Formats: sequence, structure tokens, C-alpha cells
Amino acid sequence: MNPPPAPKVSRVPAFPLIWVVPVVALAIGGWMGFRELRNRGPEITIDFADGSGVEAGRTVLEYKGVWAGTVESVQLKSGLDGVTLRLRLDRNAAALANEGSQFWIVHPEIGFSGVRGLETLVTGVRLNVLPGSGPPARHFTGLDKTPVPTVADGGRTFILRSGQLGSLTTGAPVFYREFKVGRVESSRLADDSTAVLIRIHIDAPYVDLVRTSTRFWNTGGFSFKLSLFGAELKDTSLESLITGGIAFATPDDAPLAPVAPDEAGFTLADEGEKEWLKWSPHIPIKSPESVMGAPPRPSLLR
Amino acid sequence: MSFPSNRLRSPSTAAALGLAAAIMLVPANLLPVLTTEMPGNNRTDTIFSGVVELWREGLWAIALVVFVASILIPILKLVGLALLLLGARRGAGGDARRLTRLYAALDFIGRWSMLDVFLAAFLAGLVQFGEFSTVTPRGGIVAFAAAVVLTVLATEAFDPRLLWRETPVPSDSP
Repeated sequence: MNPPPAPKVSRVPAFPLIWVVPVVALAIGGWMGFRELRNRGPEITIDFADGSGVEAGRTVLEYKGVWAGTVESVQLKSGLDGVTLRLRLDRNAAALANEGSQFWIVHPEIGFSGVRGLETLVTGVRLNVLPGSGPPARHFTGLDKTPVPTVADGGRTFILRSGQLGSLTTGAPVFYREFKVGRVESSRLADDSTAVLIRIHIDAPYVDLVRTSTRFWNTGGFSFKLSLFGAELKDTSLESLITGGIAFATPDDAPLAPVAPDEAGFTLADEGEKEWLKWSPHIPIKSPESVMGAPPRPSLLR
Repeated sequence: MSFPSNRLRSPSTAAALGLAAAIMLVPANLLPVLTTEMPGNNRTDTIFSGVVELWREGLWAIALVVFVASILIPILKLVGLALLLLGARRGAGGDARRLTRLYAALDFIGRWSMLDVFLAAFLAGLVQFGEFSTVTPRGGIVAFAAAVVLTVLATEAFDPRLLWRETPVPSDSP
């Protein structure tokens, strides 16, 4: 048997193993901090004219019904003309902070055309957003009210000019042969204040019903006519009785008038003429199923 | 309590563990420790924001207790440990008696400093009403627990007899 080799004597003092502990602690701490920072999305500020119900740390931003960020602070603007909210977004929601993004505060709303945001009665208000398509931004101005939910369904909008708004509220129905084919999107005074402009949306299957020669009239409310020959009560559906409504008819000329383009303007008559109701042109409509796959309209909201 | 191996019981070990504890205190205080979700009240708290919230709610006594137990004491303990190590290295001389009292105090406080961890563990266990309300512990509480454990171990690794030596000793002597 060979003798064992002579032991090697190391002159370097052994590194005390216990110092591995702080190194490991540093690594773990650094990793925790890094992970926290990475999960943190951008911070944005939003100005609102009114911040009632918004609470720091409690009010959340939702997009498509899920959490996307939380309000971190609420401050009055120095000029007292509004409030500024500071939000921390989720990392995955960073794309919501783009130029053109619209933020609004969801309050419970109960109207004839439906109930919205009822859950906010219990949970407190929340913020909603419609993302813009511009470059990333950090500061926004919030909307005063919920923007009109425009469905990207390939339908068309038209502008009706009327002397009076009547009882036409947002969401009021638009009928063709007393069949609902669209609704009122919004209304505003004309620039010269001589009329009211009402924006209506016709759903995709029925857009061809609106021709350049189409007549629109207000079916809102009911009117009661008393004359020598008796009394006449005019009303339409119960829905339009409450919220007001618009009906239209298209003349059955031999060659049909061309289809009205998007954003075309019409005059809204105060009431329909008997003759209009007799019009019965043959217009093929698209089946609702065939337009389901239609590409969404480029801009969601105007 | 006694340290597992006397060979490990050295100022060097105490310093290493104390340093590790100091490192873990940083994420423990900066990272969230608790997320509470209730209808209309979702919040994520660090230790300090929890203290501020308690104070704002008018629970001054509890806020004070949490502040002292969870922020002040862990830091003071590490400062105390650093004083002990310095004393042992230089030779404590006339300060030996005072430093030994400090050591006894540190040793005593050690077992009471897991308040936050117990609080988070209890809350997370008790407040689980399904969809209605949940409390979730977050990474900060783990870092805090690690810092507390490391501080206790560091105190244990320190041998108070070193304070009573006649001559200064090099820090790595066993």
C-alpha cells in the first residue's frame, strides 16, 4: 500500500461560510423588489370636473369588467375647478394609457332606457375607460358623463335636424313599420342654435332602408286631437310613449333612391303624414346573422 | 435557547446574520404585506401605510403598538446588536455592564417581535368569506418574518462573555 499523499496546507484563510447568509438575503431581497417593480404598471393622472364618490385606495379602474388599476390619491386642483386623480395601472393594462383614451366615472343611472352601473350603489363608484389608439400618455382629462355606447356592428349613423328635441332622450328607439331598427345616440343644439341635431344609429341589417329620399318623423309622446269630426288619439309603442321615438319611411319610387351614406343629414318632421305610412318599397335587408362577422368600425366613438 | 453549535457562536456569525436581517428589513418595509378585498374597499398595505391608516381611523393606540413593534424595534434591535459587536471587538471596558443589560433586553424582545406575522397569519386564516371578503398575505410579510428570525439568531450567536474580556480580541476568534 502506498502512503497517503501529503496533506496540502492552504495559506488562504477559509471564507467563513456564514457570510453566505447575507449574500442570499441580498439576492432574495433584490429579487422581491425587482418582481414588485416589474408587476407595477404606469402611473397616470386624470382630471375630472367632479370627483364625487371617488376615494383614494378604494376606487378602481375597470376595463371590460375587470380590475385594471387603483386610484392612489385624489386632490383638488389648485384653481378649485376640478379634481386630479392619480392612478396606478396594472402592468397588463399599460396599453389603456394611450393618447385619446377616455375615462369616466360610473355612477348608478336609472332611466327609462335602462339601468346602468347599479352595482356601484353597493361598491362605490368606479372608473371606466375606452382606450385610445395614440402613443402612450400619462395625463388625461376625464369625461363628465358616460360616453354613448356605440356598438361596432357595421350600422350607420344619421343626423336629424329638428325644431324641438321633443322627448327624445339618448337610447330612444328608431322604428321602421313600428319595428325597432336603431336608437338615438346623442343630441345637441345646432351651432347657430336654430335647431336641435339628433344623432341616430341604425343597426347593420337595416341600413339599406334609409335612402336619400327617406322621411323621418317624431313619434314621441302621444297627441290628442279634438275636432268637429271626433277625437283622435295618436300613439305608438309603449316604449316610445315614455322615452319618445323616431319613425321613418322610404318612398317606393320606381327606381329606388340611392342608399344614404353614413353621417347623412335629414329633417325630422314633428309628425308623420298619412301618405308616408302607405309607402311600401321592396328593400332586401341583410339577415342579422350575416352582419355579425362584419369588421368593426374604425372609430368606436365620436 | 442555545445556538446549535458553539463553533458557530462567534461575533462573525452574529455580524453576518445581523447584516442579512438588515437587508431583509428593506423589502419588509417597502413591499406590501397584506391585501384586503372587501366590497368597495380593496387595499394593499405596507407596514407603514397600515400604521398611517390605523392612525387616521382614530386607533392611535394600535397604530402606536404596530409602529413600535414592527418598525421601531426591528431597527433598534439591529442598532443594539451593532453596538454589542463593536463593544466586543474593542473591548467594552467600563461599558460592559450596560452592554450586557442591552444584550438581555434584545434577547427578551426577540420573541415578541413576530406581531405582524401573527396578525397577517390570523387575518388570512380568519377572513376568508369566499367572494365577499379576502385577506391575502404578500411578499413583504415573508421578508419581515425572515428579518425577525435572522435578528433572533444573530442575538443568539453573540456571546455576551466577549464583553468581559480583558484585552480586545480580533472579531473572528472563536
